[in-house]
Amino acid sequence: MKNRYRLASLVAALAIVVGACSTGSSSPTAPAASQPATSGAPSGAPSAEPTEMAFPEGDFALTMWTKEGEADGSFQFNKKLTDAYTALHPNVTFELVNKNVEVLREDFQTASLAGDAPHILWTVADHIGPFTSADLILPLDNLVDRATFVPAAAEAVTADGTLWGVPMSFGNQLMLYWNKDLAGDAAPATSDDWIAAAKSAHTGGNVGIAFNQTESFWLVPFLGGFGGSVFAEDGVTPTLDTDAMRSALEFLYDLKYTEQVTPAEADYDVADGLFKEGKAAFIINGDWTLGAYSAPPDGENPGLGDKLGVGPLPTLTGGEDPKPYIAGAFLMASKAVGDDADLQTVVADFMQFASNKDNQVDIVQTLKRLPGNAEAIEDPIVTGDPLLAGAAEAAQKGVPQPTNLEMRCVFDAMTAGVRDLFTGNNDFAGISASMQSGSESCIAAL
Amino acid sequence: MSLDAVVTAIQQVGLTLIVIAIAVAALEGVLYLLLVRGLKTRLATPLMLVAPAFVGLAILIVYPLLWELNVSFTNMSLRNFRDPGFLGLENGMFVGLDNYVEVFTRPVLQLTTFWQLLLQTVLWTVINVTLHVAGGMALALLLHRQMRGKGIYRALIILPWAIPQVIALLIWRTEYNNEYGAANQLLRMAGFDGVPWLSDPFWNFIAMIITNVWLGIPFMMVIILGGLSSISSEYYEAAEMDGANSRQSFRAITLPLLRPVLTPAIILGTVWTFNNINVPFFINQNELETSDILVTALFRMAFQYNRYGDAAAFAFVIFIILLVFTVFYVRRTGSLRGAYE
Repeated sequence: MKNRYRLASLVAALAIVVGACSTGSSSPTAPAASQPATSGAPSGAPSAEPTEMAFPEGDFALTMWTKEGEADGSFQFNKKLTDAYTALHPNVTFELVNKNVEVLREDFQTASLAGDAPHILWTVADHIGPFTSADLILPLDNLVDRATFVPAAAEAVTADGTLWGVPMSFGNQLMLYWNKDLAGDAAPATSDDWIAAAKSAHTGGNVGIAFNQTESFWLVPFLGGFGGSVFAEDGVTPTLDTDAMRSALEFLYDLKYTEQVTPAEADYDVADGLFKEGKAAFIINGDWTLGAYSAPPDGENPGLGDKLGVGPLPTLTGGEDPKPYIAGAFLMASKAVGDDADLQTVVADFMQFASNKDNQVDIVQTLKRLPGNAEAIEDPIVTGDPLLAGAAEAAQKGVPQPTNLEMRCVFDAMTAGVRDLFTGNNDFAGISASMQSGSESCIAAL
Repeated sequence: MSLDAVVTAIQQVGLTLIVIAIAVAALEGVLYLLLVRGLKTRLATPLMLVAPAFVGLAILIVYPLLWELNVSFTNMSLRNFRDPGFLGLENGMFVGLDNYVEVFTRPVLQLTTFWQLLLQTVLWTVINVTLHVAGGMALALLLHRQMRGKGIYRALIILPWAIPQVIALLIWRTEYNNEYGAANQLLRMAGFDGVPWLSDPFWNFIAMIITNVWLGIPFMMVIILGGLSSISSEYYEAAEMDGANSRQSFRAITLPLLRPVLTPAIILGTVWTFNNINVPFFINQNELETSDILVTALFRMAFQYNRYGDAAAFAFVIFIILLVFTVFYVRRTGSLRGAYE
């Protein structure tokens, strides 16, 4: 008993010592001198010159949740951006937290309900739907200058005429990458050419075409290529039980079971790994991997370097050009930011700083992503790079991704259908009917 | 993991521990004054000992349960995303028993109804608990005798229990990969075709069962081994003198005397398996609705589809099912009366 009391006392003492050693996260610092805002007037009216205004005094400890990970260097880019802003405004510091896209959405909703939401999000456009439905994010029309953004990029985060996000990168489209050693130098013009090239390469442990067989995002381009879309003109009624959907399902089924040019089972990581290891001739993946795939083979994170080809998905025989969804990565502000005028000013200023031409050109150079800034996308660094030109060509064939709440139900219903398809189910009519009823059932319950 | 991150984490945890320590000390002080100095009750010591745990349970379990019950009568969702208050009456979110009715009448997820999920869950539970008990019993009987290296075998069998479950599940999931996983590589080496463990509904269910049996047998084995150790050898000697063989001894002596130990273990095992979200969640990577059980469907309803009111009602339906099962099982079998009556 005596020994237990001694042990308990030791533990308590240890806890007290650890707590006493805390320097605290809110030690006062000398307030920075008031400085003009760095990146332009946050007004809805287009302006050629930024209006200088006093930068708020006092310390601002901002929390930013980002979907960007370390594997492709994008989290490090986020850090560079926030550090650069802190260098300009020492009274503004950032806590940067990486979260997986779905986890970010769930956690942001939970944190908002608890009144503890992060100030800024770096996330995807389709979060607009749930976040605006739940009134969790701040409209940005009066805080940033919409005219500085690529129109299609701004459109991706506009709902009911209101701008909800600041584009950091534009695109997010699926496109075709190929390993020139396995697939040749030229891009296949049609799906027949593509399959023929894939068949030649699908030998000796290599695969012809790799892609994520578990997500409906990879089905969407082919649905569009056969003339279909997920919603009717009203934008909320799902249209998944259509001839276009059945044709898209059949096309993907044929790739795996008839032409046999895909792995037996492949999720995102398997497909990505195969391509990076040089074991896949083609991969259908997003523009977010352009930086990683184009990295030099002998670098720290080896890519394919000069062996990489990039371009839009080839025209479908019997159909049109596939139409991938375009979106991008966007900054959003939580609703609570609007309750504090100074905080709102700082957040708006950071958003404009992050999306200015210089930083957007930097995102192109560092991450090989198309910028959301209208000036940056015309910069020779984009137009003069063949890989980025290929990405831009692919983006031009895309369609804006719907961001409404119903889209989640549609994605989930299509995902269930895709997974069913790749178990070998060739009842395309049955699968498309299931998708339709699944999405309708989910939407009805929203 | 930088030193800064470690120091920050320790600071935050240390601060929390200090607050908890102060709160517990204050609680004990108040109880001492009240129970020892004031009421002078003989229950003072046990009450003071259980009080911190009781307060912790009240904060971490009872209060959230009551809040969840409150939400279950509202239409809280992304379209109505705010604190409902008391039954949602102030915010116009009150829907009465509609959520409870919809649990049974509408698909819980996209297409799967409650009844299909219940069937899948019962199947999942019955198969797993049966295999856990059978496997645990077999291993316990094997180990409950004189043999060399018994300690080593016991340690190896308990190893699955010792590994953090999420780590084990992530590894199992990797091993179920069609092309690169160990499971299919071994099958192919033995001359069989690979199995689509993650994408085929039937095989995914089997994969979940295999994984959960691997995880659950050690617990059952340890419980049964403890029970076997408490059975006096005199019973077996007497039975042997009366000419009973090993099977008869097992049926007439071992099983009845193990019942007081087995019953709570089976009840616990049933409840845990019924509520096991980890294995189906991680092994069912492709979110096949055929591999969903009630609790995984509940999780997805709440956090993927954000149907908070519906999910709260669903949670209580599951709770009532388990409560009814437990009461029924204990009363029907009379198992807790003890085998010496």
